[in-house]
Amino acid sequence: MNTIYLLFTVLFGGAILTFLLGKLSRILYYIVFLLTMAAAVFVFYAQIRIGDTVNINVDDMQLQWGLTAFGWLFSLMVLGLGLLAAIYSIAYMKGKDRLGYFYLHFLISIGAMLGILLSRDLVSFFIFWEIMTWASYFIVVYSGKDVQKTGIRYILFSAIGAYAMLMAIVIIYGQTNSISIDDLAVNYSTFSTSLQIWIPLLLITAFAVKSALMPLHVWAPGAYANSPMAYTAVFSGALSKMGIYGMVIVFVTLIANLPQGVIIRDIIAWLGAITAVMGTFWAIAQDDAKKLLAYSSIGQLGYIIVGVAIGTSFAMMAALFMAIMHALFKGALFMAVGAVERQAGTTDLTEVTGLIRKMPWTFIASLISIIALAGIPPVGGFVGKWMLYESLISSDHYLLVILIFFASTAGFLYCYKFLFGFFLGQEEKEWEHVKEAPVMMVVPMMLMAVMALILGVFPGILLKPVDVAMQSMGYAETYGHLWSMSVLFNEWGNQVMLEPLFYAIIIVFMVFLVFLVLKGMKGTRYVTTKDISTSGEIPLEHENLTFKGNFFQPFLRAVDPVMKRQIMTYYRQIGDGLEAFFDFIRRVYSGNGQTYAIYVMIFLVILLLLKDSLFG
Amino acid sequence: MVGSPVFFIAIPLLVAFIIPLAGYVSKELVRILPGLVLIYLLALSFSLMGYVMEYGTIVEQIAGWAPPWGINLVYSPFTGFLTTLMLFIGLVIWIYSYRFKNVDFEEGKKFFILFLMLVTGAVGIVLTGDIFNQFVFIEITSIAGYALTAFYRGRDSAEASFKYLMIGSLSSMFLLLAIALIYSQLGTLNMADIASKSHLMLPEFKILALIFFIIGLGIEAEIFPLNGWAPDAYSQAPGPVGAAFAGIVVKAGVYAVIRIIFTLFDVEGTHEFLIVAGLITLLVAEMAALKQTRLKRMLAYSSIGQMGLVLIAFGIGTEAGVFAAIFLMFNHAIIKSLLFLSGSYLVYNSSEKFISEVNGMGKYLPITAVLFSLGAIAIVGMPPFAGFWSKWSVLTAAAHEGMFMIIGMILLVSIVELVYYFRIINRIFFFKMEDHIEPKRPTANALIAMFALGVIILVIGFYPGLITGYIHEASQSLLDKGKYIHDVLSAGVLTR
Amino acid sequence: MEMKLFDIDIIEYGFFITAIALVLIGLYAVLIKKSLIKIVIGLSILDSGINLLLITIGYVKGGTAPVFSPSVIKDMPLTMENIKKISEGMVDPIPQALVLTAIVIGFGVTAVALSLVIRLYRHHQTLNIDQIKNLKW
Repeated sequence: MNTIYLLFTVLFGGAILTFLLGKLSRILYYIVFLLTMAAAVFVFYAQIRIGDTVNINVDDMQLQWGLTAFGWLFSLMVLGLGLLAAIYSIAYMKGKDRLGYFYLHFLISIGAMLGILLSRDLVSFFIFWEIMTWASYFIVVYSGKDVQKTGIRYILFSAIGAYAMLMAIVIIYGQTNSISIDDLAVNYSTFSTSLQIWIPLLLITAFAVKSALMPLHVWAPGAYANSPMAYTAVFSGALSKMGIYGMVIVFVTLIANLPQGVIIRDIIAWLGAITAVMGTFWAIAQDDAKKLLAYSSIGQLGYIIVGVAIGTSFAMMAALFMAIMHALFKGALFMAVGAVERQAGTTDLTEVTGLIRKMPWTFIASLISIIALAGIPPVGGFVGKWMLYESLISSDHYLLVILIFFASTAGFLYCYKFLFGFFLGQEEKEWEHVKEAPVMMVVPMMLMAVMALILGVFPGILLKPVDVAMQSMGYAETYGHLWSMSVLFNEWGNQVMLEPLFYAIIIVFMVFLVFLVLKGMKGTRYVTTKDISTSGEIPLEHENLTFKGNFFQPFLRAVDPVMKRQIMTYYRQIGDGLEAFFDFIRRVYSGNGQTYAIYVMIFLVILLLLKDSLFG
Repeated sequence: MVGSPVFFIAIPLLVAFIIPLAGYVSKELVRILPGLVLIYLLALSFSLMGYVMEYGTIVEQIAGWAPPWGINLVYSPFTGFLTTLMLFIGLVIWIYSYRFKNVDFEEGKKFFILFLMLVTGAVGIVLTGDIFNQFVFIEITSIAGYALTAFYRGRDSAEASFKYLMIGSLSSMFLLLAIALIYSQLGTLNMADIASKSHLMLPEFKILALIFFIIGLGIEAEIFPLNGWAPDAYSQAPGPVGAAFAGIVVKAGVYAVIRIIFTLFDVEGTHEFLIVAGLITLLVAEMAALKQTRLKRMLAYSSIGQMGLVLIAFGIGTEAGVFAAIFLMFNHAIIKSLLFLSGSYLVYNSSEKFISEVNGMGKYLPITAVLFSLGAIAIVGMPPFAGFWSKWSVLTAAAHEGMFMIIGMILLVSIVELVYYFRIINRIFFFKMEDHIEPKRPTANALIAMFALGVIILVIGFYPGLITGYIHEASQSLLDKGKYIHDVLSAGVLTR
Repeated sequence: MEMKLFDIDIIEYGFFITAIALVLIGLYAVLIKKSLIKIVIGLSILDSGINLLLITIGYVKGGTAPVFSPSVIKDMPLTMENIKKISEGMVDPIPQALVLTAIVIGFGVTAVALSLVIRLYRHHQTLNIDQIKNLKW
């Protein structure tokens, strides 16, 4: 059997098998689920080669499935994150009910995401996109909390995006009679100018919804926060990247040759930058770790979109690198939050404190991931951010750089809040009982954090595939290797590494830290938190000296004017207005039989009066 | 072949009137007979479809009178396809209603007699080639419909039935007026004959007759604003009957409108009229559906909206458009029936059938709930289920003609549909059940019926090719007016 | 049969007027009157009007019943031409067949309607259609 068919059979068949077999015995859930994921990973990486295609005939259309280098790059996120999240979810979901339902939709959504990456024609793309949407929907509403609000918001915005995409697809089909993406790239210049502008706009709308670009982002915080953390890792790590995948394709194949394309690029880039800034602000304002990470994701995606929109090879490389890094560290962070949720029972940053000694591994994973998020060397996030800044400057987008840099700096605030909130601070009796998360939860987290670290030191591991992917999308190898565009990198043997200059800086810091530690070693006394006196008062036994509430209040007060106007209120007004209008319309059916009869007569009169203009 | 098209009319009518007699022999026979009839007729229809796809239309002359004097039945790929579809839905509904709400013997007798008559009437509307014969069958269907709507004594079924009756009588009036006009001008009642002679009519009369036909048949086809009766009737009728209305009766009504417009008259501007009428029907119905508080009424509005979409597709007029329309009819019949059938179990024991009463049913009726959700997701047009392919066909048909505004409006309305269906899905699975409701488990026969429909939705979703061949033939048969006239009038003998 | 334009005589004219008048009266009753019984009566009148209209269409001036009885044939050989000539003096039978069917249908519908009215009265204690609006919107 063709390997692509095999892949889908494994995933979708495995999904159904997990659901059915699990009803017999709980253990079977875990076994079949993990086997399916593992098998999928195996089939994908061992069997499917780039360039394999499968053609399926439906009616008079030809569906085409095949793997490109670009798709392969994104598949790393989908399958890598998927497998790790799967292992994590075994432990995370222990004891919860409706497991079959969760695993079923988990596997279906992974299968759909791979399907998107494997689609070489527009119809398959749309089909898999929609499957991914409803599969992820069912997991988002899994917990049953706030379903009508979060769930409907998610499906509504997804639908707006998806139907915009469908409209573009049918228009394309109507114009060219072909659904192949390659054909589209070739024939695109034959469309009329207005179509040439509308089609990418429609497509970008679809992808913007999934990557939570403003103003289409309002579904994201609720969806990310309310779905089980095991899935949110996949959601923010892989699913949102599907939007990025689509956007890159749109920008590279469609807009690249469009004269008005520059305007679209600028608009999207600015929207991305604003998203980055606002996402960061909202994240700072959050007290719930889940919401904080959700808004942070929105912000990070904003960075990536800026890179994609700018479109120079350097910017694209930065964006793609950041995308994969984001999958890694965000995945790890969501897993960490899930671990805390399971062990401590809540994710409220103002309540939980002092878990650093009780959950050391979680802390280390979070620490490394936060460092990646903040963009500090030697962890990988730094490489991505640096490349983004450099690319923006080298393409003269100075204002954007200022915004991005500002967002990045503000990002430090919520980074710290996250770490401080959970792990640091004075320990409370409430949290005495908290133990480290089970191994199956910790290992994936640590793996991802370590990967982030490694990629920070040897970014070449990732940059090489990115290079190949970008070349397959048509970016020429203008400088030999794309990464040599940056001052950051140096080749050592076969590996791309950070410039020695940066190593020097890093080593200096490390030496300094070690020096500090050692200096304090001799004759240092270990003190408890409460061994202090504040203005002559000695704190009481039960007092907690860690201040958690109203974190960053001065900052929030400063940015309040910007934060006050929420897009959600406008949406809500539109929604309410529409519902009121519909309510008005439905009064046509007044319930009085005679009225209906009169309608018939009125219709007759109208037709008789207009018969000449209606019927020739 | 195992029989001729006449059997489609004769046998069910005969059996319908034998049922009370059979009841004296054995009580179970009352329930079994309709099923046997439907199974036989479905098999007959399948074999006839196979024949017709190869050799062309079958024209059956009743009592040997050749057209244009006699009444004839026309079994073409198009009419045959619809007939098979309707009989299949009828069979599924019969399986479902074998044990429904424990109707006792007396009531069960009436139910099955009326149900057989409903199916016969609908099949007759589709198969006949004579406009007065069509009128008669419309009346048979309508009267059976009035009685079935009022079947349950409680609730407001009498009110719904009376409204249906009032509007239905107006429909008869208009149809008779149209028939009178045509007969007075052309002297014939045979559809093919009228089609060949319609250019001989004075234009004013032709347009007048067309208008009368549109109104008369539009009432059956639920075009806005002629569909005031429909939400009431669908929601008050017993569950299986609601499914029958949505899956069988309205299809016959739309068929009749389309036959008049495409075959009988050749008037400019009818296509645009269809598109506009369909669009208004779609918009009003879906907007009303969003604000509904009762489940079956909401499904009724949704059904009306889908029929509006079918009219738009027919109005596009190209072969792609007609193909899309027939495909939509097929999918709608299957999916809407599933929704009505499963929805009936979700609100079984409630008297008001409020939507809030489906809260939490997912736990007690898991299979029914999943099937309902499947139907809901399918009808919105989500891949990989059947509804996607039909939506795709109608959108591409419109795209080929450059009708971008229409595509946009259809998609906007789809968003509305999605919202109200997903709200219900959320309620079913994630809300807590209301206190005064007792869930009722569906019986085995109901599950089989619903399952069959669900399986078809999945299968067609993955392999639409299974059915598209037939639909292509059907759409060609509809559009080929000359062939229709030729087949019927050239002393079309039933070849064996 | 040939097509007829407005080639009608005074009797036929009268029939047409009556038929249309009946239709209008029936419509008036259905659309304007509030009592259910009056509406049903209106439907019945409507049916009668339409039926009258149908028969009138088949009317041939001075025509006889469409039966080939000996008094009509009068020893003429039954050739196609003779049959055509004789039949031209006969009233058109087809509308009569249509009307027979329509009358029966109308009768059935009226019966159902009246039984529904009885049930509605029992349920709502009123025959005013404006008050029977439980199902709305």
